[in-house]
Amino acid sequence: MTAFTPPVPATRNTRVAGTGPRRPARRLTRERLVALGFIAPAVALFAVFVVYPIVFNVQSSLLDWDGVSAGTPVGLDNYRELFSDPVFHTTLRNSAFWIVLTIVPQAALGFTLAWLLNTRLRGRTVYRTLFFLPAVLSPVVVGIVWQRLLDPFNGVLAQLGRATGIDVLTRSYLSDPSTAIFAVIVVNVWMWTGFSMLFYLAGLQLVDHSVVEAARIDGATGWQLIRRIVLPLLKPTHLALLLLGIIGSLKTFELVWVLTEGGPNHASELMPTYLFKQAFQLQSFGYGATIAVVLLVVAVGSSLAMLRTFGSGFITGDRS
Amino acid sequence: MTLPPTARRLAARRGIQAGLALCLGATLAACAGSADPDESAAGGGGDEQTVTFRSWSPIEQTTRQMIDSFTESNPDVTIDSTIFNYPEYIVDLQTRASSGTMPDIVGLQPGALTQQYREKLMPLEQCAADTWGDDWESKFHPVGLEQARMGNPEGDEHYYALPLLVQTVNLWANSELLDAAGVEPPATWADLQAAVATLGDAGDAAPFLLPAKDAWLRNVVFLQIANNLEPGRVYQAENGEVPWTDARIVEAFDYWSKLFTEGIAQDGALALDAYPNGVNQFEAGNAAMIPLGAWWIQQSDPSKTEIAPLSEGMAGYEPFLFPTLPGGAAESQLVGGIDVALGISADAANPDLACEVLTDWIAGDGGQVLINTFNDLPAVTGLDPEEFTSDKQEQIWNQLTQDWMPKVQWSRYFLSPEIDTAVADALAGVAAGQLTPQQAAESVQAVQDQQG
Repeated sequence: MTAFTPPVPATRNTRVAGTGPRRPARRLTRERLVALGFIAPAVALFAVFVVYPIVFNVQSSLLDWDGVSAGTPVGLDNYRELFSDPVFHTTLRNSAFWIVLTIVPQAALGFTLAWLLNTRLRGRTVYRTLFFLPAVLSPVVVGIVWQRLLDPFNGVLAQLGRATGIDVLTRSYLSDPSTAIFAVIVVNVWMWTGFSMLFYLAGLQLVDHSVVEAARIDGATGWQLIRRIVLPLLKPTHLALLLLGIIGSLKTFELVWVLTEGGPNHASELMPTYLFKQAFQLQSFGYGATIAVVLLVVAVGSSLAMLRTFGSGFITGDRS
Repeated sequence: MTLPPTARRLAARRGIQAGLALCLGATLAACAGSADPDESAAGGGGDEQTVTFRSWSPIEQTTRQMIDSFTESNPDVTIDSTIFNYPEYIVDLQTRASSGTMPDIVGLQPGALTQQYREKLMPLEQCAADTWGDDWESKFHPVGLEQARMGNPEGDEHYYALPLLVQTVNLWANSELLDAAGVEPPATWADLQAAVATLGDAGDAAPFLLPAKDAWLRNVVFLQIANNLEPGRVYQAENGEVPWTDARIVEAFDYWSKLFTEGIAQDGALALDAYPNGVNQFEAGNAAMIPLGAWWIQQSDPSKTEIAPLSEGMAGYEPFLFPTLPGGAAESQLVGGIDVALGISADAANPDLACEVLTDWIAGDGGQVLINTFNDLPAVTGLDPEEFTSDKQEQIWNQLTQDWMPKVQWSRYFLSPEIDTAVADALAGVAAGQLTPQQAAESVQAVQDQQG
């Protein structure tokens, strides 16, 4: 195992090594005060908007509390109850489905679109805009529109299915517990593929053309070029999308709420929708806070795992 | 693994920073779970001539008209109002109540929501008596007053909310589609089955459009079924007097199941919400019958800029009650209650002014403005719109307010949100074919047992 070397700026490294000129202590203190002054607003904002809600949530998760009246301390009871709650198990299973089935197809479709639209195609700006458009729409609007499209009684897909005899289009995907979560995932992929496409377009435009040209001269073509040259060069883009995808999957709320409200019978429930129901509809704020804490742990844990695995510079492509 | 000195110093520094941040956070967050945060002197944050109002109902445009009506006769008063969608409203209300910035007047639903805020609301009997006299209760529909105190602790007879609008839950028919098919609004279960079959053959419209995605709608349809089978039995189950697995309640779940298995409800009913998709379909003439409630008359509000042809003067609709069921009550039962009630914060900056506004909106000029829009039925008797746009609209209004509302005996709400959710989940499970009626009843009983 290689020795641990923290990434410190060169100037500091120099000073620590003791080879740089020593500055007077008073000047150093003043510099530190100035530095502290600069970071103080950020620290204050971080404390109020990040640390405070986290500590508040952790504290709330240890209470039997409706969010308004006085809470009763219950220790870890909420956590015990949560881990034996079958609906919570469903939310974990659905989150796993969501992460795998949104990130991979979105990346594959996004890359394909980006690859095609990175050529000298006529009207490519229009295509890029069209494919990106769903990503800027409100999830509520997207949800309402897709609910109408997927309505098996009078929806566009069902009518098309009846007209063409394609029965698969007339099925009731959102109201069937075995398909509801997958139907919502499909809508989510439709919505966010343009976002992945944009990332890949940016990544492709940063790829060193000389490397691609060299590969072509060496005889690489088509799929070989993509698989062996382009995709490896886009590693920072893949990883950035992976991280954003995991975090986005864990905090998805609006689209699920509008399309299924987590139903039927919790079949498409995710942690944020279940949290909302518990905290605000069932007046179990303490239990809702417990879900929030678990959600936070999962989100932070997965982000840290990625940082640990790929290094802190994986998004920018810096080696660290 | 041994870290070099630089890394150790860095790690130590990071540890100290994280610790400081957590300490700061813990200090800041010390109030989680406390009942009484420091209240601002002015309650909702206004001055003595400003009343703050937050609710999900009435709609923004109507609320604005009610405010204008009040401030016209009280020009020195300002009413700061925000109308939310219901899910956003309950988040806003909870956040404000727990941070000492509760609005002066708040919209409430009876039962669990009012009880959650009871300690932060002022009793309203004195306000009502000062405005309407000692017999003020006689002005209201009895079910509204009964529900306003639903869930009060034993011995607490205070009104922490007064009803603003009330409603029946019932079915609506598209008169044109029914007439064209030669069908009358069904009065019995057999009539319903026959009507659905005839209407299904008559055209493309859904005979019985059931927007069963919404938990509230599933529950109100179930309550109509259950009360038609055995009036009052479900409330006995909620009180623990009979189990949820009582044969009549299981039978009610079975009738709910038949809506799906016998093809009465349209395909994909569990994915259709009432608002906006269900009502849009009904108003567009794509459905012959739909379970909603008295508030559907608001579609004919003459102040609307655009009214669908069917809704013009209620030309295309007629209300009817859920059909009677074999072996059940001889007549369809009336289920309903409060649509929205109003409460006043115990910390209101000017409780007298808040009381003036609240009573004006319930039964004064503001109430008249509200009722002129046909938003829902008034909580007080004798308050009618000043103008009707058709005889049919007037006839339906009279039917709802005079024939039905005074006879409403059964609540459209469960007392506990846990039971409300358990019933809604069980109904979804039955509709999706995941639960049998017996299993559905058992699942509700399990939640009730858990509650103790």
